[in-house]
Amino acid sequence: MNYILQFGPIWDNRALIIDGFITTILLSAVALVLAILIGIAVGTAATAQGKTFRAVSVTYVESMRNIPLLIHMYFWYNGLSFLKIPAFWCGVFGLSLYSGAYVAEIVRSGIGSVPRGQRQAALASGLTNLQTMVFVVYPQAMRAIIPSLASVFSQLIKDSSLASVIAVADLTYQASAIEGQTFRTFEVYITVCVLYLVLVTLITQALAILSGSRGDGFPRRAADA
Amino acid sequence: MPEVVIKNLPFMLQGLLTSLQISAMVAVGGTLVGLIVAIVLYSRVPLLSLIARIYVEFIRGTPLLVVLFIAFFGLPALFGYQTTAYKATIVAFILFIGAYLAEDIRGGLLTVKPTLTQAALATGLTRGQALRFVVVPLAVRRIIPTLFNQYVRLFKFTSVASVIGVSEFTGNAMLVNAREFQPVTILAFVALTYLVICLILSGVGRWLHARLTVS
Repeated sequence: MNYILQFGPIWDNRALIIDGFITTILLSAVALVLAILIGIAVGTAATAQGKTFRAVSVTYVESMRNIPLLIHMYFWYNGLSFLKIPAFWCGVFGLSLYSGAYVAEIVRSGIGSVPRGQRQAALASGLTNLQTMVFVVYPQAMRAIIPSLASVFSQLIKDSSLASVIAVADLTYQASAIEGQTFRTFEVYITVCVLYLVLVTLITQALAILSGSRGDGFPRRAADA
Repeated sequence: MPEVVIKNLPFMLQGLLTSLQISAMVAVGGTLVGLIVAIVLYSRVPLLSLIARIYVEFIRGTPLLVVLFIAFFGLPALFGYQTTAYKATIVAFILFIGAYLAEDIRGGLLTVKPTLTQAALATGLTRGQALRFVVVPLAVRRIIPTLFNQYVRLFKFTSVASVIGVSEFTGNAMLVNAREFQPVTILAFVALTYLVICLILSGVGRWLHARLTVS
């Protein structure tokens, strides 16, 4: 083995790595917000009374999550190339439509975990349908779904690396660029690995604390107190 | 079917075959790796279980694409050996999915009540036999749907192999697109094909689960 590990060239290119890291965070954050909005809409539709809503919701979830993310990205970037959407937004749309299906499944099960009586009581007390969802159902569902949401979030951050294939200058893209210049192949990819690991771990831990599963943060339920 | 798809069907189907081949090999290899790592974690073998934990946490925090790059570019450079895109893909995917399967299988092992193990040991089975004949079969049956979710995921992410030049389904379809330039038609065909195969695969998982589960 005559390969000597040299992290010097990686350090020299730290500006590119930081740049890519920020792009990855931005890409994931924007896609996350959109995915949550899609997930809430589609997940709520799955629990609606009307058959049409439920059918639309199931179709969305099953079709979006059974198509590879790479195809989603290619669709926005190559398929709709005549629209000239910037690569960053192609990545965002691909990621959020794909992850939205996973969020929808979680939201659906979260709403399902709220006892029926809660909803009936809220409606009986004169709240409208929308008020019932926003003030009674969602807050309770929220606590049940944070752990699963955390795993979807970390999945989304990792999946965002595929955006490098459609030329979004994220962390993975910059890693390939640095590799091409310095030929420190192993060092650059292992550095990037560790950065992803740190980012994912931070998010997961933060959400774990928020959901109270670590014993700190806010209490799980007001009723327990 | 649109003409452009029919004309290039043999080439794309050849890619699909490669995708299925990769998936099958990785599913078998990954399940074996997952099972071994899960048993190491479950039986708390000293040192080995620490290594297993580091492996699982590391892979689960890393994107597939980066694992693929490490297997294709990084490791051969580090250890000075030659590899092909196809081989690197199989190694990377087995390592990747193995970590997720290990966590799922470990979760399954934990659902088997300790009294069953104790009963098995009391009847004279060794620890290894108790695992092999009692705990593992029960655990695996319970987690069949989860396992199949991972296999579906695995089949979907074989598309990533096209990035390092493996001529699988997505890669071949994009090559066809480069020549024909009908991206919407070709991508729709590719997406539908993935969709149908994934739905069939998860259907098989549900069917097996219904057939095999003992409550």
